[in-house]
Amino acid sequence: MRWAIDLSEALQIALAALRANRARGALTTLGIIIGIVAVVLTMTAANGLQNRFRRTFSSVGADVIYVSRMPWVIMNDFFLYRNRPHIELRQAGQLEYRLRGKAIVNPTVNGVHDVKYRSKTMDGVTIIGTTEKQIMVSSAQPENGRFIMERDVTSKTSACVIGTDVRDGLFGTENPVNKKLKIGRNVFRVVGVMEKQGGSFLGGPNFDRQVFVPITSYVKAFGGTRGRQDVSVAIKAPTQEAMEELEFEVIGEMRKIRNLRPAERDDFSINKLDTLMGAFNNVMGVVLLVGLLVTSISLFVGGVGVMNIMFVSVTERTREIGIRKAIGAKRRSILFQFLFESCAICLLGGLIGIVVAVILTAVINAVLMPASVSLPILVVAVLVSIFVGTVAGFVPAYKGAKLDPIEALRYE
Amino acid sequence: MKPRRKGREIMDEMPSPTDATLSLRDVTKTYVLGADTVHALRGITLDIATNEYVAIMGPSGSGKSTLMHLIGCLDVPTSGSYWLEGHMVAEMSESQLAEIRNRRIGFVFQTFNLIPRANIFHNVELPLVYGGMRKAKRRALAENAIERVGLADRMRHKPNELSGGQRQRVAIARALVYNPSIILADEPTGNLDSKTGDEIMALFDELHGAGQTIILVTHEEYIAKHALREIRLRDGAIESDVTTRSQRRAEL
Repeated sequence: MRWAIDLSEALQIALAALRANRARGALTTLGIIIGIVAVVLTMTAANGLQNRFRRTFSSVGADVIYVSRMPWVIMNDFFLYRNRPHIELRQAGQLEYRLRGKAIVNPTVNGVHDVKYRSKTMDGVTIIGTTEKQIMVSSAQPENGRFIMERDVTSKTSACVIGTDVRDGLFGTENPVNKKLKIGRNVFRVVGVMEKQGGSFLGGPNFDRQVFVPITSYVKAFGGTRGRQDVSVAIKAPTQEAMEELEFEVIGEMRKIRNLRPAERDDFSINKLDTLMGAFNNVMGVVLLVGLLVTSISLFVGGVGVMNIMFVSVTERTREIGIRKAIGAKRRSILFQFLFESCAICLLGGLIGIVVAVILTAVINAVLMPASVSLPILVVAVLVSIFVGTVAGFVPAYKGAKLDPIEALRYE
Repeated sequence: MKPRRKGREIMDEMPSPTDATLSLRDVTKTYVLGADTVHALRGITLDIATNEYVAIMGPSGSGKSTLMHLIGCLDVPTSGSYWLEGHMVAEMSESQLAEIRNRRIGFVFQTFNLIPRANIFHNVELPLVYGGMRKAKRRALAENAIERVGLADRMRHKPNELSGGQRQRVAIARALVYNPSIILADEPTGNLDSKTGDEIMALFDELHGAGQTIILVTHEEYIAKHALREIRLRDGAIESDVTTRSQRRAEL
């Protein structure tokens, strides 16, 4: 209980000291404010990026394997994959046959074409030929109208489902369902609109700027799969646990289908959400590191400012320290007194920094991209402030605590 | 009221030679200042009993300040022993000395030495705060001490709102608040005019009458005459130690 009373005295002294010297306190806290703003913004940015990523790629199921010619993430090793033969529709069909009953298999084929509606044109839209199973392997669903059905595939109909960007670009506020548009030189009829998935993440694919058509219609409209088409097969396991085993099986079957000898490497890629996440985390790691570096430097500068002021404060109160010691204050009481003062300064700076950062985040949110400050981030910011206060204040506080009372009492 | 040790008992290697409140045996204090060695105190031996009223006198450089610092546990002897209420002080740690200063010793300084930003009440209760006392009990003791020196109506004022004499009263209240073994006063009237000085000395006389042990350090004969015993120092040693019967009372 005794130390608690000590602490409350130290707190009172600290607050009184702060109040007494407002201008000085304000300047000192500036360094801490900047540091804390940096901390909060860095963590909010990292948080925001993660959320953005998750939202954009949420339609990529965690329990889906994608077999395609290229890996999703290619850094500087493009040359390794350049010579791979394309996956043919025939091979996709074989894979589906071999996996029938064990998993849901959805082959897709895609290419880039222009899309026209009346007088408007959108170029460079990704057209995906797929089957009715598309909405089973992906969580993205149509928000308007319907998706492609089995009869569309078997009958090679001209049904198509467009993404929200395509709708906005060609139809504006008009209801696109049942309207006819031209893909390349072929006429298709809109039967549905996909829900919004959240744009392009860091230059990746834009899932809203796509059009789904039946895979059979695609082949009919844009020619066979000789050479240039990009066939991909999405495979969904019945349960998450079955995924691992399924992966092995898929690789095995694909190798057979592609006539690979045992010694040869895979000439196709197995892509999963995991892969993406891995690549993303790498980027995130770098972002965080840079952010942390900047933050640390600014906090260090702020901390030095606080230490400086604390030295001044201790010197100013030398006589008072002597008095307190003479009437019985122990070294640790004096230490606490000044540590509290430096923590109080830093906490004040931290709180102001948090307010500034929250305001900045709101501005970014309104202007640039969705961002919000979460509670754990605020807690971290407060803890960081206290930490800086303790470290910065320690040496001056210790020096004050060690003063010889007789000398201190003589100090003018 | 013995200081609470909480298990950190001091091992008394030698028992106190007398029953006196305060005993010094062959105490020396030596400083090294650059190339010189200063012998501030050379072999001081004395006893002070409870409720004595002692004046320590001497010219500048006689070592009276050093002796006061030692008695007040602000410093430790270079050699020799010092017992306070049966406890051997010389062996104590800084933390233990702080506890003694807190509870057994009440300082009164020439320059008052009050905390400027705190009010009277807080100044007086400060030793109790450092002693870990709870608020309610502190309040009672502090108010009591303030009343005793006659400043009950100024309790919430700050030191800079008081006159010199009033500030010294506050300092005395602070010195009394923990009911210490000894009150150590270093030139208590040095910064006061003669009339106010007399009032303060009257207060000391009154405290002595009530049972307090008082040690005055002064170079004024006039002030020293209030005490019942005069110890004179010269060049770090006791020159004379005279107990008088008469006591001069200040005319109010």
